[in-house]
Amino acid sequence: MLILFQILFILFAGFAVFNVISRKRSGLLGQRAVFFWIFFWILGVIVVIWPNSSSILAAYLGIGRGTDLVIYISLALLFFLVFKLNVKLDSLNRDLTKIVRKDALDNNE
Amino acid sequence: MLVAVVPAYNEEKRIGSVIRDLFEHVDKVLVVDDASTDNTFQEARKAGAIVLKHVLNRGQGAALQTGHEYANIIGADYVIHFDGDGQFSTKDISGAMQHMQEAEVDVLLGSRFLQKKSNIPWFKAKILLPLGRIINNLFSGLKLSDAHNGFRILNRKAFNKIKINQDRMAHATEIPAQIKKYNLKYVEFPIEVKYYEYGQNMAGGFKILRDLLLGKFLR
Repeated sequence: MLILFQILFILFAGFAVFNVISRKRSGLLGQRAVFFWIFFWILGVIVVIWPNSSSILAAYLGIGRGTDLVIYISLALLFFLVFKLNVKLDSLNRDLTKIVRKDALDNNE
Repeated sequence: MLVAVVPAYNEEKRIGSVIRDLFEHVDKVLVVDDASTDNTFQEARKAGAIVLKHVLNRGQGAALQTGHEYANIIGADYVIHFDGDGQFSTKDISGAMQHMQEAEVDVLLGSRFLQKKSNIPWFKAKILLPLGRIINNLFSGLKLSDAHNGFRILNRKAFNKIKINQDRMAHATEIPAQIKKYNLKYVEFPIEVKYYEYGQNMAGGFKILRDLLLGKFLR
């Protein structure tokens, strides 16, 4: 019997996968990103439906509980993504500056 | 040819007099208007400066680099970085130029600490600037008495070599780092800085640190 949280999570995962596919259709996501995100959400659904699955892996890695493992991985992933986004933003900023500079140099006097 | 590069953002009140004072000491004044929303552009033009306009605000470092590239185009021999808000005294320029040529260096960096010329607010003198100095030494490897002083003179070799990638205030650490990287000869020179209002605060300092750390991951 599924508990409410599991149902909600599966619905959300379905929504997220649908989103990934529609982004792919409009050409915003590459092949690799599509695989990664679908894999990610399928993994999420598996862990939510069978919580023991993460415990097995956790025990193997020497971590007490499956939920702890999920939290550790999620945090590491989030930090990594935030860092990548930050670097990306900075490099976009630098590109923007180059354009603004070129415009300023071209349009003087 | 000595060109003053003046980055300016909303400085309509002071920019005119700064430019007029500068013309007594330099050959050309180049104002980089960093997308000001007031009449900085018109005021600078009226005072006789060459004015380049950034269509979006990109920060002081970005404006200085724009100035360097323009100085290169018009064949300047020296550029001097000069603040548009009237903090610096143009009287320091001729002495600095003379000192720079006598010392045969590529870069001259202004310092508020070599002589007691400036009345620096207490918190800035005792806390912020020493912290800035430590961070500066850490990131650039250049030991300076005044880490974040905007008064600089660069010769042609220096302003062509140094590429300012830090758009905002972290350029003040990036420049010494590149001086070291390219083995440019430099000297510090005592200058006067007047304090009208507070510039960088603690939060600004953290922003600089963030920019410097992130900058390490960018090429």
